Formats: sequence, structure tokens, C-alpha cells
Amino acid sequence: MKAVFIVYNQANTERVEYMLDRLGIKGFTYWEDVQGQGSVDGEPRRGTHTWPEMNSAIITVVEDEMVPELLSRIKRLDNRNKEVGVRAFVWNVEATV
Amino acid sequence: MSIYKTSINHPVTTSLIFVAVMIIGLFSLKQLPIDQFPEMDPPYVMVMTTYGGANASEIETNVSRLMENTLNSVDGLKEMNTISKDNISVVTMEFEWGLNLDDIVNDVRSYVDMVKDNLPDGCSTPFIFKFSSSAMPIMMYAVTANESYSGLEKIIDDDIIPQLNRVNGIGNISMSGQPTRNVYIDIEQEKLDAYGIPLELVGQAISANNLNMSSGNVKMSKEQYALQVRSEYASSAEINNIVVTTTPAGKQIFVRDIATVRDTIKDLSLDEKINGREGVRLMITKQSGANAVQICKDVRETLKEMKDNLPADINIENIYDSSEEIQNAINSLAESIMYALLFVVLVVLFFLGRWRATVIIGLTIPIALIVAFIYLLAVGSSLNIISLCSLTIAIGMVVDDAIVVLENITKHIERGSSPREAAIYATNEVWISVIATTLVIVAVFVPLTMLSGMAGILFKELGWIVTIAVCTSTTVAISLTPMLASIMLKGKNLVIENGKIVEKKAAVKKWSYENTVVRLLDKIDALYARLLRVCLNHKKLTMTGIVGFFALSLLPAILGYIGTDFMQQSDNARVNVTIELQRGTRIEETLKTARKLEARFRELIPEIEIMSTSAGTNDDASVGALFASTNNNKISMIVRCSKMYDRDRSIFEIAEVMREEMKQYPEINKYFCSTSGGMGAQSVDVEIYGYDFDQTSLLAEEIRQMINDSIQGARDAQVSREEDRAELNVKVDKEKLALHGLTSATVATYVRNRVNGMTVGFLKEDGDEYSIIVRLKEENRNSISDLENLTIPSATGAQIKLKELATIEEYWCPPQIDRRNRQRIVTVSVTPYDTSLGELAEDVKALIARNVKTTPGITVKIGGSYEDQQDTFADMGLLLALIVMLVFVVMASQFESLKKPFIIMMAVPFAISGVILALWITNTTLDMIGALGVVMLVGIVVKNGIVLVDYINLMRDRGYELNEAIALSGQSRLRPVLMTAATTILGMLPMALSRSEGSEMWIPMGIVVIGGLLVSTVVTLLVVPVLYSIMSRHGERDKEEEIRHSFIFFDMDEDSVYDSRVNK
Repeated sequence: MKAVFIVYNQANTERVEYMLDRLGIKGFTYWEDVQGQGSVDGEPRRGTHTWPEMNSAIITVVEDEMVPELLSRIKRLDNRNKEVGVRAFVWNVEATV
Repeated sequence: MSIYKTSINHPVTTSLIFVAVMIIGLFSLKQLPIDQFPEMDPPYVMVMTTYGGANASEIETNVSRLMENTLNSVDGLKEMNTISKDNISVVTMEFEWGLNLDDIVNDVRSYVDMVKDNLPDGCSTPFIFKFSSSAMPIMMYAVTANESYSGLEKIIDDDIIPQLNRVNGIGNISMSGQPTRNVYIDIEQEKLDAYGIPLELVGQAISANNLNMSSGNVKMSKEQYALQVRSEYASSAEINNIVVTTTPAGKQIFVRDIATVRDTIKDLSLDEKINGREGVRLMITKQSGANAVQICKDVRETLKEMKDNLPADINIENIYDSSEEIQNAINSLAESIMYALLFVVLVVLFFLGRWRATVIIGLTIPIALIVAFIYLLAVGSSLNIISLCSLTIAIGMVVDDAIVVLENITKHIERGSSPREAAIYATNEVWISVIATTLVIVAVFVPLTMLSGMAGILFKELGWIVTIAVCTSTTVAISLTPMLASIMLKGKNLVIENGKIVEKKAAVKKWSYENTVVRLLDKIDALYARLLRVCLNHKKLTMTGIVGFFALSLLPAILGYIGTDFMQQSDNARVNVTIELQRGTRIEETLKTARKLEARFRELIPEIEIMSTSAGTNDDASVGALFASTNNNKISMIVRCSKMYDRDRSIFEIAEVMREEMKQYPEINKYFCSTSGGMGAQSVDVEIYGYDFDQTSLLAEEIRQMINDSIQGARDAQVSREEDRAELNVKVDKEKLALHGLTSATVATYVRNRVNGMTVGFLKEDGDEYSIIVRLKEENRNSISDLENLTIPSATGAQIKLKELATIEEYWCPPQIDRRNRQRIVTVSVTPYDTSLGELAEDVKALIARNVKTTPGITVKIGGSYEDQQDTFADMGLLLALIVMLVFVVMASQFESLKKPFIIMMAVPFAISGVILALWITNTTLDMIGALGVVMLVGIVVKNGIVLVDYINLMRDRGYELNEAIALSGQSRLRPVLMTAATTILGMLPMALSRSEGSEMWIPMGIVVIGGLLVSTVVTLLVVPVLYSIMSRHGERDKEEEIRHSFIFFDMDEDSVYDSRVNK
């Protein structure tokens, strides 16, 4: 089991939901408003007057074999419009209840 | 922080805020005066102008028309009625209700100032006065006496009135029919002639010997005295011994030689009999703005205290007490409210089965109602029929919000939440929709506050009270209710047994709530769901059936089984009888008939408690005489019967018995039995406009005859124009007058002195003065030949008989000319018996259309309270349209859809069919109050639909298939729908069933709301789901799907990049 943490510009919300739907991923946890800034060239998303945009984040725990498919679709979404970006990070799930 | 969270976290503050509100409310309740209706000043202004010596038609041309033409331009004028009679012109202007009368009076005054100079010389300055409800008597007493009758006036004036005047807020106390003491010197014409002295000489002699005069001071050695001639009569007997003149033969002629001195009570012209005993009628008015109920109570107490100090034979009986009606109406309404409260609480207990929940919901009612009292005090209103009716209406509605909130909290608790958490989250889920349903109610009731006219004044209070009560109840539902729920409700009692969690339950008894009511309700739910599924499978059949039912239910209305009235006539146990005998009948004859009728009425109607009869006229010309129209040939009776619930016959039937009796008397020319005082008066007036007296009078009489002969339900048909009055006209020959050195003026004075009498001074006794009146004895002045033989002294002292100077002719003249809106008018007014106002008006209309051919110059119109009714119904129709639109807007915005509110609105036509059926079955007519009920129904019935449609939407959003979603929602929402409907219906039930005094007024509203809500609830439960299913498509709510079609990124090549910055 892997946890995939997806952070994306809020403008991508409906597309991310659509993507998870298409891939048959049911479980998720979702934060509506999160702030952040990319390490390389990402614009800050701070919800301030200077940087008014905001990100949202979803963490979803999927079977190992689902991860490559998911990342590939996320990559396409990112490629669709670089300005309205999306990032994903994957880590191991040690245990669940 | 949301309101419900705050209140749950601060239970002490929250409860204390509401306790404070309750205390302020109860304080307001204690301060509120009791009255019949909200304060309303009737918008009438009168202008009275006197022009001495002019007869009716002269007054009409020279004064009335002038006034009319000027006053016609006063702003806000609705109707102008003018009365022109001998010496007086009265213009009565009716304005739109709700205008500021002070401004209007100012306006009128400036117009009067403009016209003043154009009035004929000798006209008085026009006198402007407002007609105010405080001018109407609030109490009437009959004071009767045997031995003390002759001194009654003095007793009332000196003892009773001064004491009553001490009551706070009392206006004016007046009496009628009081015996006045007079000293009459009845002279014989022949003896005057024999001695050759004129009547005036007798008067002068009596007058000259009746004086006290100071004649200076007399000084005697050390003292000083005032010198006085004191020769005033100490008793009337002294007058006998006054010397009138000395004959040339030296013989003295005393008064006793030519006249009889009678010290007696005034000759009869107005006769008052109370229960056949001689008596005086005492009328009491209040100051404007004073509390009638309190004054009446104080007056009763004062009279009771006084009783011991009055002579034993004096009996004071109440004829009319306005506070009695008010108090009874208010008491019975208060009772209705109590029952409504009880019923509503029982319904809640039945559906919820928990006393704690019931207490929480029940608490909403007193809080919401008590806040309404604060409003009433703040706007200076009173506890009246309208405000209490509004509270009854509100009771059923104020619990709805609390029910929704509490139901959701209970659901969360059932699921295992702690009461505190459940209260917060459950309220959060529903509070928006609770506010939305309240908005619908507000959309119905706020427009009521904007109505104009009389309906506006009555319903303004209703609109505000219901709005305030409902808004308060919503506030309570989202603050106090969750707070109390978090404290009072108990969570599930979970315990660990053998390492497992189990719910600890009390042993279930066989007849417990769970085993009886819950099972029953579950069964009904299941049954309804089954029925709904069947209906959804046969949509066309269901809709045809329902539409068929709707069409059938309209039949009674189309076939004319539903009558319309302006206001229900109420049985106030009083009949006012007006009888007119053959014109010119002398007072003594009129009295004979009156006594005969009194006796017969007593025989026929044992229900009579008190009967006060007055006949004749009071010759004091005062403003008060304007309103009374008794004449020598007229009898007016006030008959009070026992209370409505103590007798079998209604007052209308009793009046009918009286009419039947009076029909048999040949001497009775016209009779009129009015059973309704004030608001309930109903009549259809046929207004005939036209200048020609003879033509219009003839037409009016024809119409009256036709109505009497051919219309079943018509009673008391009467023509407004009074019959020509019989007059004797002394036509003087001016040449002959000049010959004798006389003028018309002197002859008129001499005739007046002989017939009416000349007042020659006063007899003083105990500080009171009694007139001494010299005139011919009755036998010398009661026929035309007697009058012709009156002796008139000429300028030279010669004696001339009147017939030598003038002829006496009998002739007829119109006593009064009525005009409306600057045209001469005669009205034929009819009251309905055993039929409704609307039907009667239709009959009269048809009759006139068939039989009356109007000649040029004459127009015939239907008016009266029928006209008011038509106006009000038109207003109500407009209001209904406005409210339907507003409700639609509120719902459309709530559902973000135009279709859904339309589906819900379908409940309204079925409410109408319910109303028609209810009116038909109970044989009630639709009146103004009933029409208001129909308007209110719009708001009440759509609530059911909102609950249902909202839930269907929810279920569909959760992914249920359309028909399945509908069936499921129906099953789950049945209980709340039934519950809110039941609370409203049972809340109105005591009002509809009330049979106390004055209840006729609000019964139609109860019937209308119950009927409409009952039918529409049943039908809504089928129509709304089926229509929903017909008007929706599968999947129409999947808005997301449409958007997703544009998401193409999913299938694109993984490495292809679209960069808007690059492509720019």
C-alpha cells in the first residue's frame, strides 16, 4: 500500500476528482485550502494580496500497482497547463487499522 | 461562531435571555388594554352649516351644492353624502381608510374658508367635525322609577351623573326621555275674548310679578341694610292669584279666572318606556383612546355602590354594555388558544413519544406568542379579536421549526452521538432549510401588512403578529432548542457486558409507545410507500383521477352553492326595531301601538330580557338630534334577549317572528328589524340617482315592492327617502296684515305663543329653575278650525281672528334631501335572511335588469356592504396573486429551479378545492375573514411540498434512481408532513368549533384553513411525487457529468505539454 499525496492549484479540483473517479479510486482525504510554494520555479500560493491563489491537497492510499497509472495521469494533467500545476508525492504506508 | 454553537456552549446565558424575553412579554401582557378591534378611526369628516328659515330644497341649492362643489377637491375623498333639511346642511365625507385625519381636517377647513364668503347671508360659519368612534355610546342604562318618576331628572342629574363622571376616561353622559318639570298656564280662548285681553298680557303680568330686585341700601343710625324687593313665586299656586288686568268697570281679573295653572311634568313629545315602566335612558360615551372594558367595569361598580343611596323604587338596568361582547369574545379566543396549545402539544407527544422532546418543542409556543405581546405594546395596540386570532393561527406554525431541528438531533442520538455533539451537528445540517421555510411564511404574511382600506387596518396586525411569531420560533429553534436538547435529551445507554458493547434498554411493555404508536406509524409509512409506488407506475391514471377530483370539487362553487358575505352576522342578542306608522299620526296614537306591540312581543318571545321603547321626538335641536330620527309617528325599540347559549332560537329567527307580527298591523307603515350592530351590518343597497323627486321616489317604491314580492331571502327592504311630511301652512294675506298694522313676523310670533307657548320666566325651587309657559289650553289649539279662531291683537289693540288674516292649508313637503357624490339619491336597502349577501345581490341585480327600465336622467347602481365586499374581494384576489408570486420566488431561489416550485405550487389549487368542500359541507359563506384564510393557506400548504421535494432532491443527489428516490423520500418524510399538518389543523380546530358570542366572525377562517389544509395535504402526498416524476428526467441532476466531458487531459499523450506561455 502506498500513500499518494497530491497537491494542486484549486483550479484543478474538478479534474482531480474526475481522475480519481476514472481510476476507480474511492478513498481519499481532502484539504480544501492549503498554502505552499514550489522548490524550483513554482509561484507561491499564499492567499494574500500578492499571491492570491491557493492550493488544495488530497491524500489517497492505493495498492502498489495503481501508483504508476495514477502518477502518469497526474503528469498529463500537469502537462495540460503548466501554469496551473499539480504535484504528487508517494510514500510507504507502514500499517493501517 | 454560529448561533446554535454559541447557545449550546452558553446554556445559562441562552436560557436567561429567553427568560428575560418572557418576563418583558408578560409585563407587556399585563399592560395591554382589551378592545374589540385594533384602534381604527373611521375616516369620516362632516361639515354642518345652518341657514335659519330655509327649507330642504333651498338649503340644497344655496348651501349644500356650494359646499359639495368646493369640498369635492379634498385629497383622498372616497364618497360624499349630503343631507339637506330644514335649516341644516350636513356634508359627510368618507375618506380612504388609514389616512391622517388631522391633515384632512386641515385641508377641509381651508376649502371651507374658500367658500365661506359665497354662502348666503345669514348662514352660520360651517362647523367641521370628525366622526370618531368615541362618539358612540359604550354603555346604555335604563333608569326606571315609580313614585320618584317625576323627580327622576333631578336625581340623575344631581346624584348619578356626578358620581359616574368620576370614572377615569369617561366621556359624556347623556339621558333621553327624562321627565322635565314645567309650569303650564293653560288659557281658554273664549275667556280671553270675553275680557278682550290678548294672551301676551297674561304672560307679561305673570312675568312682571316674578322678580327679585335689589333697591339700594338703607342706613339707620348705626346699621346699614340692603333693600330688596322679593316677589319671586315660592310655589306655582301663587300664579293663580296674579291680577292680569282691571276691567273698565273696576273688576280685577285674576289668572285663575281665565286659565288653569298646572305644575306638572312636561307635555309628552318623547316617550321612553323600559319594560313597560316609565324611565330614562342613560347613554355613556368614552374619551377617545380610553379603554372601554375598564370604563364599563368601573361604571358597573360605581352604580352598584350608589344603589343604596338612591330611592328604593329606582331601578337601574343595563340595556347595552359594549364591554360584555368584547370580554366574551376575548375570553373565548383565549380559551381557543389554550386548547390549541394543548392539542399541538398532544400531537407532538403522539408523534415523538418522548416527553422531554415534547417539553422542548412545547416551550417554543409560549415564547413565540409572548414576543407578540411585546410587539402589541410597542405599537400601542391592544388584545383584540384580530390579535388573538393571529395568535391562534400562529400556534400551529411555530412548532414546525423546532420539530425539524429536534427530529434531526434525535436521529443523530439514535446513531450513537452524544446529545451535545448531536445538537451541534444536527442543527448545522438543517438550519438553512429551517430559515428557508420560515421565509415562505414571511412571504405570505408581510404583504398582509401592506393592504389598504379597512381590510388593511384589520389585517396589518395579523400580518405582523404571525411574522414576528414565526421569526421568533425560528430563532428559538436554532438556539434554545439545540441547547435544551443538548442538556435534556439522553444518549444511548451503552454498557460493556462480557467485553461487548450493548445498549441497555428498559424492558418493553406490551402497551408501550414502541409497541403501539410506533408500529402504527411504521405501518402507515409502509402503506404510503406502497401506494406511492403504485401511483408512480400509473402516473397517467393517478393524474387523471386527481384532476377529476379537482374538477368535481369546484362544482359546488360553480353551481352557486357557496354564498359570499362581507362579514358574518353575529348574534349579539339585540334587535333594534324601528317602526313607522301612518304619517301625521299623533304621539298618543303611536304610543298605543307601541304598548300593544310590547305586550305581543313579550308573549311571542319569552327570551326577551329587556325592552326599551322610545317614541316621538325630543324637541331640543342639538347635534345629537342629527343622529336620531324619531318623529311622532316613529317608534324605536331596543330589545335585548338572553345570551345566545341560553336560548334555542337565534336572534335572526326572533327578528323574523317580530317581522311576522308587525306585518299584521294595518297602522304600521314600515318596519325594520336590525339584528347587527356595528361591524356585522350587511345590506345590499340599490342606489337610484336622479334629480326628479317624483320619478325617483316612484322607482324606489316600485323596486322595494318588487324585492319584497319576489325575492325570498330579502328582509327589511326600505327606502331611504323619508315620506313627505305633513305640514299645516299658515298663508297670510299681506294686504290685510298691513291694514291692521301687523307683519308676517308679528303674526308668526303670536301664533307661536298660542300654540307652542311663551316662556314667561322661571319658578325657582331648591336652586333649580322650571319654565313657566303660557299658552292656550289644548282643546283650543288642536284642530284647523281652532287655529283659524286664534285671536291676534292688532296694532291698535283690536282683536282679530286668524282666519281673517290668513288661510290654513295642509300640504306635504320633503323633510330631507339626500345627495351622494353631488347627485340626488334614493336608496332601497335590503338585508339578507337565510341567504348570503352575494346571492341576495345577484337576485336583486337580476330583478332590476329584468324589470326596471331607466329613463334618461336616472341611474341605478348596486351598492351597500355588497360594494365593500366586492372591493375587499378584489383586494384579496390581488393579494393572493402577489403572495403566490412571492412564495414562488422564495422557493425558486431555495431550490435554484423553476420547475420544483411549480410542482409544489400544485398544492394550492387543491387547497382551494378543500376550501370549497369545507364551506359546502358546513354550509358556511365565504366572507372577508374566510378569504383571508384562503390567502394564508398558500403559505401553509406549500410547506408540505417543500419538505417532500427537498428530500427527493437530496436522495437523487445521493445517487438513488428517480422513482426509488421519490418512494423513499415519501416514506421518510410522511411523518414530518403529517405532523406539521396536524399541528396546524388542530391548532385551528378550537377556533372553528367555538360557539361563543362573537365567534361567528372567526369560524369561517378556521373552517377554510382546516378544509384547505386537510385536502391539500392528502392530495399533495400523491400529486407532488407523481408530478415530480413526470417533470423530471433521469440523470438531470448530474451537472458534473456535463462538465467532465470537456476534460480531455486524461487521454492525452503523457509527454505532450501545453504551455499557455509558450503558445502566446
